[in-house]
Amino acid sequence: MSETSVLDAPVAVRRRWLSPEMAPVLGVFVCTVLLMISIRFVSPGAVLLAQVSSILVSAIFLAVASFGQGLTILLGGIDLSIGVVMGLGGMMISGLTNGTNDALIWALPATLAFCAGIGLVNGIGIALGGIPPFIMTLASATSFFGLGLGFTGGAAQAPVAPALETLMSARALGVPWPIWLLVGFAVIAIAFQNGSVTGRKLYALGSSPGAARVLGLPAAALTITAYTLSGLCAGIAGLLIAGYSSAATLNMGNPFLLPTIAAVVIGGARVTGGRGIYLGTFAGALFLSTLETMITVLSLSQGLRDLIQGAIIIFALIAQNSRAGRNPT
Amino acid sequence: MASPSISAGFRRALSGGPTVVAVLLFVLMFGIYAERTSAATTVFGITNLLNDAIVLAIAAAGVTLVVLTGEFDLSGVGVIAITNCVVATISTAGSYGWLSSLAVVLAIGAGVGLINGLLVAGLGLQSLAVTIGTMICCEGAALLILSAPGGEVADAITNGLTGDLFNVVPVAAVILAGLCAVWLVFKRTRLGIAIFAIGADASAARLSGVNERRTRLAAFLIAGLCYAAAGYMLSAQTGTGDPRANDSLLLFMYASVAIGGTSLMGGRGGVVGSIVGAGILTVMQKMLFALGVAEFYTDVFNGVIMIVALLIGNVSAALAQQMRRRAA
Amino acid sequence: MSQTEGRPAPVLDLRAIGKRYGATVALQDVSLTLHAGEICGLLGENGAGKSTLVKTLSGVVTPDSGEMLVGGTPYHPHTILDARAHGVATAFQELSLVPTLSVAVNLFLPRPGINRLGMIARRRIEREAEAILSAHGIDDIAPATLVGDLSLGVRQRLEIVRAMWRQPRILLLDEPTAALSDREWLFDQVAIAIGRGASILYISHKLDEIRRLCRRCVILRNGHKVLDAEVAAMSDDDIFSSMAGRSVVETFVSVPSVVRAGAPALRATALRGTGVDDVSFTLAQGEILGVAGLEGQGQSFLFKSLVGLNSLRSGQIEVLGTPVGLPSPRAARRAGVVLVPEERKTEGIFKDLTTSANISLPVIGQASRFGMLGRRAERRLVERVTPAVDLAARYLPLGIGSLSGGNQQKAVLARALITGARCLLLFDPTRGVDVGAKQSIYRMIQQFAASGGAVLFYSTELDELVHLCDRCLVVYRNRIAGEVPRERLSQELILSIASGRGSAPPGAGAPMELVS
Repeated sequence: MSETSVLDAPVAVRRRWLSPEMAPVLGVFVCTVLLMISIRFVSPGAVLLAQVSSILVSAIFLAVASFGQGLTILLGGIDLSIGVVMGLGGMMISGLTNGTNDALIWALPATLAFCAGIGLVNGIGIALGGIPPFIMTLASATSFFGLGLGFTGGAAQAPVAPALETLMSARALGVPWPIWLLVGFAVIAIAFQNGSVTGRKLYALGSSPGAARVLGLPAAALTITAYTLSGLCAGIAGLLIAGYSSAATLNMGNPFLLPTIAAVVIGGARVTGGRGIYLGTFAGALFLSTLETMITVLSLSQGLRDLIQGAIIIFALIAQNSRAGRNPT
Repeated sequence: MASPSISAGFRRALSGGPTVVAVLLFVLMFGIYAERTSAATTVFGITNLLNDAIVLAIAAAGVTLVVLTGEFDLSGVGVIAITNCVVATISTAGSYGWLSSLAVVLAIGAGVGLINGLLVAGLGLQSLAVTIGTMICCEGAALLILSAPGGEVADAITNGLTGDLFNVVPVAAVILAGLCAVWLVFKRTRLGIAIFAIGADASAARLSGVNERRTRLAAFLIAGLCYAAAGYMLSAQTGTGDPRANDSLLLFMYASVAIGGTSLMGGRGGVVGSIVGAGILTVMQKMLFALGVAEFYTDVFNGVIMIVALLIGNVSAALAQQMRRRAA
Repeated sequence: MSQTEGRPAPVLDLRAIGKRYGATVALQDVSLTLHAGEICGLLGENGAGKSTLVKTLSGVVTPDSGEMLVGGTPYHPHTILDARAHGVATAFQELSLVPTLSVAVNLFLPRPGINRLGMIARRRIEREAEAILSAHGIDDIAPATLVGDLSLGVRQRLEIVRAMWRQPRILLLDEPTAALSDREWLFDQVAIAIGRGASILYISHKLDEIRRLCRRCVILRNGHKVLDAEVAAMSDDDIFSSMAGRSVVETFVSVPSVVRAGAPALRATALRGTGVDDVSFTLAQGEILGVAGLEGQGQSFLFKSLVGLNSLRSGQIEVLGTPVGLPSPRAARRAGVVLVPEERKTEGIFKDLTTSANISLPVIGQASRFGMLGRRAERRLVERVTPAVDLAARYLPLGIGSLSGGNQQKAVLARALITGARCLLLFDPTRGVDVGAKQSIYRMIQQFAASGGAVLFYSTELDELVHLCDRCLVVYRNRIAGEVPRERLSQELILSIASGRGSAPPGAGAPMELVS
């Protein structure tokens, strides 16, 4: 070899101590901790540990539902049906069990299958019908909401199976069960997204649909998988809320829809796909739940709540953009 | 082989396929509605129908402009909520409240459109995510203005915009006709051409000297103005303010655009189609009501028709491409 | 060095222009002058920086460093319009016409004439467009036609007319003959423009055009200016070796392939479909079969058809003597046929994955247990193929987006190898790749063939085809217009067949189509 190439030389092989994926995540965790601590100053009576514990318990719904949202955003899509599916999942489990544990054995899989089924329909419309994700999921949410309304007449469904209520209120080793569930879910979610073959392929498809096509990755199957999982996660979140609040209403999931998007975006995921880790989404969900507690403690109005949430999404997008601008890849 | 001009014309008709299908659908559903409802074809009935359709039509016109450039804009529902609350709060002040509130409302719409445009065109952020953010902010602001449904809209607005001119011509019809006329001129202006060019092939348009940022910014800005006007019309109809916009409105806005034959990829379609789309959706609600379908099942229809409209659009686009390939 | 003594100040003066994209140096310290009435040739291989230079001059790209002067005054164009206002107009290689607008509107973009209402004055601009077209010797295009309905060749003419009709002082023509069937028309237009006192920067990598039009030529390589000299003083070989960075003979280590007996690795019979018209050929095991053609002659469709990315209406494909459907890239991969696509950025790499993940993706299932990834097994798989493409192990854990074009392409090739492919379809694999990486790619191709693999190899660099291939097919208008055996391989013969002028030698795969 006679000359070294100009193009070869300047590539930085230097390893940063913090990977670019982790930097925003750490930032969000730090913000969350600061926010938790500051709640004490706002409401001096609160016991920090109890406060943290209750924040973590309430974070599980968002953390679970956001995982599905994160998968669809990883493919450059979005799932606007999550709120409705959460409501339907909760309604169905309450309606089917009707306050007894006996029916749980078949009601649980039936409910989850139904919720995953809505995701499946979304995935099929998007992958095979070529319908833009936000419209497909919005349209299916509208339709299924109508069906739910038709079946229940809009009445709240209660009581919920006692086992579910117990799950959401009991403690193990002094720690509330939901926190164990939260940790368990996070481990599984991270293992799936960053440790499994399917997760790797989802990243590939989201990163470059064109290359995925040339390589022959099963794009339709992967897309359908992501939306089905999103429906499933929304269903699980719905079950948990039903257990938590001992009753289910059709609208109870709606306030969670936009926070799922916010959680994913705050966590550093790129909305056009291909980039983002669940740990980031998880941090985003914790942050938003803490913020929610803060807002409740300060008894801010719903209007301010919305304003803050919208502003957070936009600022997270801008921050992400300026990061991308600094080190182009 | 067919002569090139005929096959080109046929292809164009086919790629505008949804519009043709849409008009047929409109006629069919209007027929069922009119057959069931005796007042449907009277001046009153028509005025009523137009009044129901016009909010959606104007909002969908705004969405159309943004979609033509190849972007999405979900902030419309938020802007409509804010403007509705503003009109319900300030329009009764003084005898020119209707005018000053219109000015304020348009300024709000332009402001939100400008923010969207700057974030999308200026910073290059993804439009869907950005406008979800501005939508939530707007809804929050609407709640701050009016924490619960209420307020009052000036009579000048409610009477002026929902009645009939000389008891014959609905005001809404005049407004819609005006909107169509403005669009037909606008789409042949330099800005109109630029919007189509960017949606069809952004890089070619840029290399042709089209100012991409300014064009996108203008599209979002005009869209914001449309949403504000739609909110003003909504206030005229309801006579009151409601900080929670109709849940189905967002879906309906995009359904109107899609049924009207505008490609969600950008570059193809137009406002007239979206107005027809809004008309179809409104007539569909009327028809379902006339048929006695329970209200919640209309939601099911609304979702399904959206999906079907897009599938028809995709299929006819695929057909058009196939024909182009054959012709090539 | 061009000498400016005794001549007036140059019309265009570039001083030490630099531009980088991340890790890639697109232009570095490039200086160039253009005098009134001069045609200066700009040569270089693909990815040498020609297009970046054109875009810098036309206001699309802002340089990181350096200075530009037009007519002696500083020139900082931020948009195409700025450039136009300074009398600089460009005919782009990628054709910048908007397909959904009419010919007339496209000619006048972004400010077509309007009437009092602000609407486009359709009839008036169509009349004006007609006058402009006929002034440039075009009378077979109706100004009301949509550009999308025109053939590529016609669009190329329009692109050139659009740059010329404003009578710019400086005209940039970027590969103006890529899709043009009638080069004489262009040469006439160039002569007229020069007669009016314009200066032209003529970008091409066709030597004969440069020799015919230009007195002086500038050569870029890897973003650097390597030569600025009178064309007449240089031999073809001088020019080629400046472009390639070494003499042609030195570049290629000739390894005559050992064509294996037995069933052909790939046999295509009478393929017909979009962009593919009655194409038949046979590719033996151990053979490197070249494909040559001017831009847009169906070569891209042909390659895609072979892996099912472009649907065929009829025809048959056999792999190792067995007829196969190949309806999808996955089926093709299973049959051992792998495509390395044209667009590396959008179709080759997965920009957010690490280099290692990019390479292992097709076989990732083998490196996993119960659906979970085994990092060590993955690394073993990847490291088995990276030596074949000279990809350094230190790049493997990095995001592929931060690698140079050459290393990215090596990774894409490694991915093709990791599947155990027996037949590689390489579409312009050395485009935008540095010299070192090119060497590695040539060696990889030769080793792959030597081990019994078959290679179908398209390149825009004819010297690569001439030196690497055992045979070369030449495509013209979606057909195979001729086949050149190894003994007769030369750039001149390939070019003459590729432009539809030469005759196919006896034994060609398909009959020659006459040019109308």
